[in-house]
Amino acid sequence: MDGSNQSSPLAGDFLSVLKQRRLISDIPNSAGNRSELKETSATTILGFKFAGGVLVAGDRRATSGNVVMYDRADKVLEIDRHSVMAIAGSPATAWEMARILEHSFQFYRRSQLQEMSMEGKVRALSKLLRDNLGMVIQGVGVVVPLFATYDKKSSDPAKVFFYDAMGAQFEATDFASSGSGALAVRSVLYYENNWGTKPLRERTQEESILLALKALDTAAEADTATGAIDRHGRIFPIIKIVTKTGVETVGDDKLSVLFQTHVA
Amino acid sequence: MIDEPYRWVEAISNRREYIETELAPGSPTIGLSFSDGILLLTFGRDRRKIFEIYDRIGMGGIGHPGDIERLRIMAIELASTEGFTRSAADVSLRRMATYSFSPALKQAFEQIYGAPYLARLLFAEVGESQEEDLFVRLDYDGAMHANAMSAGKRRESFGAIAGTRRGLEQVERILSRAKLSNLRNALEAAIRAWGAGLYASGEDQADTPEESVLKEFLKSRLEQYTIEATLLERGTAESHAAFVEVPDSDVESVLSKFR
Repeated sequence: MDGSNQSSPLAGDFLSVLKQRRLISDIPNSAGNRSELKETSATTILGFKFAGGVLVAGDRRATSGNVVMYDRADKVLEIDRHSVMAIAGSPATAWEMARILEHSFQFYRRSQLQEMSMEGKVRALSKLLRDNLGMVIQGVGVVVPLFATYDKKSSDPAKVFFYDAMGAQFEATDFASSGSGALAVRSVLYYENNWGTKPLRERTQEESILLALKALDTAAEADTATGAIDRHGRIFPIIKIVTKTGVETVGDDKLSVLFQTHVA
Repeated sequence: MIDEPYRWVEAISNRREYIETELAPGSPTIGLSFSDGILLLTFGRDRRKIFEIYDRIGMGGIGHPGDIERLRIMAIELASTEGFTRSAADVSLRRMATYSFSPALKQAFEQIYGAPYLARLLFAEVGESQEEDLFVRLDYDGAMHANAMSAGKRRESFGAIAGTRRGLEQVERILSRAKLSNLRNALEAAIRAWGAGLYASGEDQADTPEESVLKEFLKSRLEQYTIEATLLERGTAESHAAFVEVPDSDVESVLSKFR
């Protein structure tokens, strides 16, 4: 139990603490045979900037091959007070990544007595994806996430990043999407941003929630791996809003009302 | 020579005397439990002394900054790995203090060829109700004092550390009488207790200070020290950390009464 701050190779790095204590298993890095296992996977997720910050939304379906595994999956995860990660791909790996990320940011803040920078946070997720490469090559555990955060220090504080499965990070100007229904969502957002009533960045929170509901519904229309809104089961997408004051989850009641009056 | 029992006892007692002398001038840290949560308060001159350990746990310390830092990192690593591998609900101050800290401190203290920890720590853990608030004081020799045996049993609603035993007695005298209904009362009581503790830790202050003497003493010290006040908020959502700074406006309005 060496308590010194120098015990890990990188001060404040939670991942190296976990590895040192052998609390996470090493991911095999060799490219083995492609497995025949049918993985649970998911999804359509999207994120875009609006007048007050960033909106991140995701459907609720998890599938394994052509079987619906679960219709209440939460794919938009709060990582800290100002950041949200949305996951597409294998939930097993993605939820673990989200857990590591959440603990890493807190661990850094608590041990180093300062908040990790926005760039540091974005990079941390990139590194987790890079570490997962061995799995990706074997065809299991592929994760392609979105990361949204509000950086008070920046002149353009609302940020959305998207990644590829190897960990490359890209900053989105206005919007990003990922998952099997991404193409449909991307088309809707592109259209709305250019020829809609007004650009995404000028929309109010309520207008943005409505757009997210419509975009996800469009994706679900053609993609079996994306869950549509189920009014009877009261299953609505998860929508989180990241603003100056922090992360806020839009309640099912509000979604239900908006859906009834404007979408259905 | 040290392997003779008498020599060993002598070496330990020298070591104790040395550590006590080093800790004596330390600025007291006060923990007070009230309806909204736990207030942790101290005054310092140049470095922070109150730290966040985990979602519901905070820590304060007196002693060598290097040793406090080692213990602080140890606490954060313990709590974080537990919270990650099991869940945040499994992180328990009582377990951490009893099974990890106390033995480690005792071992370092009694291994007379190695260096002991020059530190006295106060841990606080905010519970769902005031009855579940926990304070643990840990000394350099592994001695441990908690404010209650378990939830609901007879308890003190405070925890504190001071440079000397006399200082601690003065702090506890004020805290045990304090009537706490809100943050401002708690701040006021904690500031008075801090003053009394620091006063009594001074070289030849054997008696309880008169109210007027304490007032003068506090007034003069406030010019040299900077306040550090943190709140472990009760009832924050699971994903959120309870550790927040007390707003400057609250601190200032209470401090102005002492200036």
